[in-house]
Amino acid sequence: MTIRFYATPATKPTAWLPALALLVMVPAADAGTPINERAAADPTGKVEVSNTAGSVVVTTWPRNEVEVTGSLGTGAEGLEFSSVDKLTRVKVNLPERSSRVEGTSLIIKLPAGSSLAVNTVSADVSAKGVRGQQRLQSVSGDIHTEAAAEDVECKTVSGHVTVAGTGQRGLLTVTTVSGDATVTSVAGEVNGNTVSGNFTITMGDTSRSRLRSTSGDLGLKGHVAQDARLDFESISGDVRLDLQGPVGAEFEMSSFNGQIRNCFGPKATRTSEYAPGSELRFREGQGTARVRIKTLNGDISVCNK
Amino acid sequence: MTPGRLDSAQRLDDALARLPGSIEPARDLWPAIEAQLEPRDVRAGRRWLWPAAAAAVLLVAGSSLITANLLRREDSAVARQLPASGRLTYAAAAFGPGQTLDPTYDAARQELARSLAARIERLPPDARQQLERNLAELRRASAEINAALELRPGDALLEELLLNTYQDELAVLASVDQLTGGNGAGTTTDPTRMQL
Repeated sequence: MTIRFYATPATKPTAWLPALALLVMVPAADAGTPINERAAADPTGKVEVSNTAGSVVVTTWPRNEVEVTGSLGTGAEGLEFSSVDKLTRVKVNLPERSSRVEGTSLIIKLPAGSSLAVNTVSADVSAKGVRGQQRLQSVSGDIHTEAAAEDVECKTVSGHVTVAGTGQRGLLTVTTVSGDATVTSVAGEVNGNTVSGNFTITMGDTSRSRLRSTSGDLGLKGHVAQDARLDFESISGDVRLDLQGPVGAEFEMSSFNGQIRNCFGPKATRTSEYAPGSELRFREGQGTARVRIKTLNGDISVCNK
Repeated sequence: MTPGRLDSAQRLDDALARLPGSIEPARDLWPAIEAQLEPRDVRAGRRWLWPAAAAAVLLVAGSSLITANLLRREDSAVARQLPASGRLTYAAAAFGPGQTLDPTYDAARQELARSLAARIERLPPDARQQLERNLAELRRASAEINAALELRPGDALLEELLLNTYQDELAVLASVDQLTGGNGAGTTTDPTRMQL
């Protein structure tokens, strides 16, 4: 077990401190105090990171250790670093009351098989090479990561999300309120939900995708796998599918007020003589994929050109 | 056929010929019939919606309320600084003409919004404005779909979009709950700590 704790002299001792016999107190954190911590870690353990502001950059290395470097922001109370059994925890502690705290930059190296959980408020998050599960959350920070075979979940309010796939099948879940999301080269299942952000999947080979938005645009550029199930739904955002390669799928599209544009030939028909609404159902090729698109006001476009 | 029977048959034919081809009812009965039939059909079709919606909101609200209770001590200081009503207030959730969501759904929704109000106030200003703008967008969307349902009562597309919009609203609130209270990064007793 390794525990490191930076603290300012003004910090009041708390009841739990004496109980931690292995606690190591490191002198006060001054402006831009360098961080340099390292501990042995299980190659498939979990690493939890919490940093309010600044940045979190995670990479992997071929060692069974977790290393944390970077710079502790002015005003931060300290860095908590512990490694117990399969759990390594990295947390930037802030004082109970302070009007201004500078951001802390964390650069973390961990075994590639680790699972990763990061929570921030405004700090940007970047992860590369992580093969275990990832759960990355930020209120307003941007998130950039790679998706492998394990599940990846990204969640923000206003931060943008970028996920690059490695071609391995996994489950990717992206939720934003106003942030945009861009997913590239991801195989497997993608679930995306946004209110006003734009959500785009590029060069994907997804077998299952379910994207929803309220006013944000939804888009897919790439190949539709033979057994794919794609489900897009938006209230006022547009939905655009630019399909590549041979397409074999059954399409079902309906919109209450939006227009339906289809490059495969069949035209949409009105669902009622007296009220708005149009729909289009057709099959293209021999594939068994199913594509379902629904909007209230958003336009729908499906093309392979 | 005897002459008597021929006369009788002729009279019957004449009488039948004098009958009108169709009879218009004295008044238009369809609206009254429709009023009795449609709600029953719609309710039957939507019967699964209420338990599903209620279950979803209760799950979210339950989780949030547990968190809220755990954080009550630290939230109370901030809550006192807020208007009694909080920023997030909601009208009763409608579901098309003459339909409202179950009162327990509305109550849970209001409670969830109230429990989150203090934490939303402590978000970074930009994120808070974005969140409030987008929650308003969701409410506008549900109002618009409800208006469309006035035109097309029972429309399956509109009903699906409306139900999903209500679920999206709850999902956003649940995400905010998770981002601001469900982890160490977002939990604080000092609102100024979020002014980063």
